[in-house]
Amino acid sequence: MDAKSRFLRAGILFPLVLIAVTTIYLAAAFDIRSPFAAPGEISPNGIPILTAVLMYVALLVVLVQEIRSPPDLPDESDDGSLLRPALVVVATGAYILLFRPLGYSLSTLLFVAALFVTFGFETRRPLRFALYAVGVTAVFYGLFALVFGVRLPTFPGIEF
Amino acid sequence: MDTLLTLAGGFGALLDLKVLAFMIAGFLVGTFFGAMPGLTSVLAIALILPITYTIDVVPALVMCASIFMAGMYSGSITATTINIPGAPSSMMTAIEGHQLMKKGFGANALGHAALGSMIGGSIGALLLMAFLPLAAEISLLIRTPGKFSLVLFALVVIIIVDRGAIAKGVVATLLGVMFATVGIDVLQPIPRFNFGTETLVEGIDLMPIVIGAFAISEVLIQAQSWRSSTGVIDAETKDMKIRRRDFVPPLSEIRRIGALTYLKSAFIGYGIGILPGAGGSMAAFVTYATARSSSRYPEEYGKGSREGIAAAESGNNSMCGGAFVPMLMFGIPGDPTTAIVLGVLVINGLQPGPRLLENQADLIAPMFASLFISALVLIPLTLFLFGPYFVRIVSIPKGLLYSAIAVVALVGSYVATYSIFQMSLAVGFGVLAYVMRRQNYSTVSMLLGFILGPDLEEYLRRSLSLADGNPMVFLTSLDSLFFLLLTVLFAYMILIRGRRKPTVV
Repeated sequence: MDAKSRFLRAGILFPLVLIAVTTIYLAAAFDIRSPFAAPGEISPNGIPILTAVLMYVALLVVLVQEIRSPPDLPDESDDGSLLRPALVVVATGAYILLFRPLGYSLSTLLFVAALFVTFGFETRRPLRFALYAVGVTAVFYGLFALVFGVRLPTFPGIEF
Repeated sequence: MDTLLTLAGGFGALLDLKVLAFMIAGFLVGTFFGAMPGLTSVLAIALILPITYTIDVVPALVMCASIFMAGMYSGSITATTINIPGAPSSMMTAIEGHQLMKKGFGANALGHAALGSMIGGSIGALLLMAFLPLAAEISLLIRTPGKFSLVLFALVVIIIVDRGAIAKGVVATLLGVMFATVGIDVLQPIPRFNFGTETLVEGIDLMPIVIGAFAISEVLIQAQSWRSSTGVIDAETKDMKIRRRDFVPPLSEIRRIGALTYLKSAFIGYGIGILPGAGGSMAAFVTYATARSSSRYPEEYGKGSREGIAAAESGNNSMCGGAFVPMLMFGIPGDPTTAIVLGVLVINGLQPGPRLLENQADLIAPMFASLFISALVLIPLTLFLFGPYFVRIVSIPKGLLYSAIAVVALVGSYVATYSIFQMSLAVGFGVLAYVMRRQNYSTVSMLLGFILGPDLEEYLRRSLSLADGNPMVFLTSLDSLFFLLLTVLFAYMILIRGRRKPTVV
């Protein structure tokens, strides 16, 4: 592993992202003003500032540990591909966007179908694929809307 | 007398058909999630959390208790049948149970696991009911500086329990504390970190963190490590005939294990449950190791010891009772399950503490009864009714399973508050938790930091305010000093003494 890729692995990038987040958090903490300060009292930004400082220290320790540690060996339990998790996140994002406009039934059916494709479930048997997708959608409609009486969004003009 | 009447009322509440149905449904859901490798009872309770917004507090708590007990027991099913513990707390059971399975005594091993769980779980629930009033009396003696030191003790122990990743534990906990500071300040009506939006003024709800950290991240983890659509189950195990009568352990074997093993394991498990961050895995490990060291048949360990199964299962199920004590009396959850139950209490306007037992005992007594009945009745009943089919649980296609979990998680996070924002937040936390888990940061620490952070801040600021800013108040206040010394003692025991001792498995 060359020096560049050694510093670009997730074990180092993640704490660096957290350092950036902590910096934004700390800057926002300094903006908090309290008109009710009394002697001996910690103001509302006191604990966030302390938290940010402790976070910097802990992240520095993590960074040092990561730099010193040997490079990660490939995990045998996965193929190392981020494609499937990324597809799940994209499908989930689309589901959230379409949940209200399309209603529960249609958006959930499409979401379940997208997940089945991502997980490779019954993709070679279209009839079963469709039946399972409709089944999952219907079962959870029954659970939420019928058993727990929750009002789920509907497609404009259609109740189910 | 009042306490006894309240507890009797709790058992009476279970006679309500609706409450009973929630208890049984919770137990079956917990059994399924506990038995399925990769799924846990924590995930089951996390998925149930949004539903608790729409049902009464009593059935919600009753269901949570039965899921907790079922999940702790049912990990032993796949631990025994296919040598893959359904839950981490069944690791010890896998060592002994699968050996018995290979010798043709699988049903017998499942029977011993159920009996140990039944005895341990029942004793844990009884100890909870017996000692909670005492814990309430003690908690009344703790003043604000002491409460700060107690919360600090809990957080420190939760972090240092994972000796291999303390710095990452601190990062995860502080991340939780940071999320908790979003919204109105704990003492003054000042919004913090809302970044000019009205939505964030109310703060971040517990529900999207729980759903994200335990449900969505699990779906993403599974998506990355995807291999096959069904679980591993060899042909021999699949075709194995299990007869119901084989589940009943012979009296001679129970005598050989001895009442003392069950009792000792139950008491140790209960005690471990009270400790923050310990959980079922530690309870099972300690009780197994204790039973092994005092066993008359140590040579059987590792080769299919029924005593080992009994001790481990008795210990981890008894832990369930102990885990409720710090959560109910101090608002300090020691593990994710009780953290989510705490969320259910808070959603329903119940505040943990001694007053809870005084004023709203009728609402929490059914939860204790559910814990007891789940252990005493539902564990053996479930084994008897569904035992022969347990081995097939792992055959359920995972593509179907995780798709269904994703739907429940997302729709659940919507129905809790009818908010698309909460849904998006759950996904955001899910992605964060996924990265954290891949990088060995504890999402449990993040959750507990989120829950305990506001308490820590409030008690610290109140204590200093009352002492005119003098931090010596934490040393001059006896209760505070006690918890600070306890923190040092635990840090010494876990970090220094623990490092010297070689690990024995």
